[in-house]
Amino acid sequence: MTGSIYALIALSLVIVFKSTEVINFGGGEIVMISAYIAMFFLILFGLPYLVVVPVTALVVFVIGASFDRVVLDRVLGRHRPGQDIMVAMVIATVGLSYVLKGTVRLFSVSDDVRTLPPIFSTDPIFIGDIVLSQQDIAIFLISIMVMMLLFGFFTFTRIGKALRATSENPRAAMLVGIPVRRMRTLVWGIAAALAAVAGVLVSPKLLVSPDMGGIIILAFAAAIIGGFTNVLGVIVGGVVIGVIENLVGLFISSKAIAITPFIVIILVLIARPQGLFGGAVPIKKV
Amino acid sequence: MSAASLRYLGAAAMTLIVSVGMYAGAPIYVLYIANLILTYTVLAIGLDVLLGRAGQFAFAHIAFYGIGIYTTAQITNHTGIPFFVAIIAGAALASAVSVLIAIPATRLRSVYLALATFAFAEAAQWVFNNWDAATSGPNGLRITSAHMFGYVLENDRDAFPAVLILTGLVVIATVLLTHSSLGRNMRAIRDSEHVALASGVRVQRVKIAAFAISAAYAGIAGGLFTLFQSFVHPDSLGFDLIVLVLTMVVIGGLGTLPGVILGVLLLGLMPEVLRNLREWQELIYGLILILAVIFMPRGIWGLVTDRRKSRQVRDVVASPSSGKDAT
Repeated sequence: MTGSIYALIALSLVIVFKSTEVINFGGGEIVMISAYIAMFFLILFGLPYLVVVPVTALVVFVIGASFDRVVLDRVLGRHRPGQDIMVAMVIATVGLSYVLKGTVRLFSVSDDVRTLPPIFSTDPIFIGDIVLSQQDIAIFLISIMVMMLLFGFFTFTRIGKALRATSENPRAAMLVGIPVRRMRTLVWGIAAALAAVAGVLVSPKLLVSPDMGGIIILAFAAAIIGGFTNVLGVIVGGVVIGVIENLVGLFISSKAIAITPFIVIILVLIARPQGLFGGAVPIKKV
Repeated sequence: MSAASLRYLGAAAMTLIVSVGMYAGAPIYVLYIANLILTYTVLAIGLDVLLGRAGQFAFAHIAFYGIGIYTTAQITNHTGIPFFVAIIAGAALASAVSVLIAIPATRLRSVYLALATFAFAEAAQWVFNNWDAATSGPNGLRITSAHMFGYVLENDRDAFPAVLILTGLVVIATVLLTHSSLGRNMRAIRDSEHVALASGVRVQRVKIAAFAISAAYAGIAGGLFTLFQSFVHPDSLGFDLIVLVLTMVVIGGLGTLPGVILGVLLLGLMPEVLRNLREWQELIYGLILILAVIFMPRGIWGLVTDRRKSRQVRDVVASPSSGKDAT
């Protein structure tokens, strides 16, 4: 069930990578700050989850979009041809992760580790021999719903189509009159909002702390399994990672869970350098 | 002798004078910081070999640093083998492991290479944390004082000359590497893998060599670490350290030796400057990273060389006759 959350975070990484070729090393901290924002609304205002999820997503959308507008846009603008832009972009996202973590640490809420109240009752449901909690099912269903919304948005709306065009070929998209810069910003916003939903969903199960951004590793593993460019593959990858984690915990040792995603990443890349479902890697020519 | 090599000679002489003064008179804490900065210099130059010279975006550097630390420390702790042999063993082991990683990793490009090496570094940290026999795991490992030429290096003051000389040797080796054919091949791959391949560069082999050299630097840095530190913990060998070294290289200037050294100096001294702002440290650090990539895309050294170039252009325009001397 947690696999669906990994899939959400991985999706946020992948749509950013597909349309801007940036790996977002700050993705985990976006999840983390979303959990804190949600906590703020839940505990201070006592709002229900039904309101908190969209409001948090909206706030974090603005954070993601402004990061692109204020930082990445400028980095791109000063970039000279022939220079590897990827290093600069990665540094920028690492900078984002430190800024978010540092900001949260300034507040005293971050001194204690907390969890959010459960979304639904945690009472178990029995399906044959399988025990599931209502909360897990709710998390799963919400993630599926968000993914379907996203899929619908990309397939059927005009903006969604423009976004896909931009990620396929930015120059051609510009030629047919798509505002490519604005599209990039929009993608960053959407990706951040996705990570925010994941952050709120995961927080009742995980400990909320400034260091919870480490969850990004699992999303990386999911994205690698899926191939960094294949959206459906990534969703499968998220679920697979969730399952593998539980199996390792059951059959090998709980200590080994921590190392599982790395082993998965390394093995998958040795076997298939472009990920299990990824297409051919585009090669930089001259 | 050209103006550039005169400048470098001047810088080397300055470093020597300052160092002798520090060895004689500086408080022990200052010497500790100096040792740490010198160690980071070796570590950062090593990363720059792979990233700045060969253009391979790899994150595994700290794993090799760790291998160097633990190998050198365990040899020093348990045998009477002199330090110079121990540090070479550490560098060789780091290098050997990196070749094993490089053989599959060099088939990967861009994001996949970055993530695979990142995963390897995290896995290595897990091993440092769990392989109790070799690393004492989460308890951390005590390192006894190193000995060389019959002397025992007991504190930062004793260690400083050794760390300084070894760092100097590494810098000289890097200059030689840059001007060697291997260095040229690495640059060719960085600028365009295709053109390099078409011009007869054995891309795969050169990449593996770059990994091996870079890891050997990291291993040497690990050995230097054991000269003045008496304790190592796996938690200190994580993502934060690779980000620190990466930042030093990028802020200083990717692929430029003076730039990298400048970057190490600046970021190495920063924790001392920000000492009283501990809770702000992460935030300030993040802001510096972001501002640096926005305003100095080619690092501090990029700014310096740009200014020098524009000054030369101005001189040439102002008086054409003196233009020849300026270049």
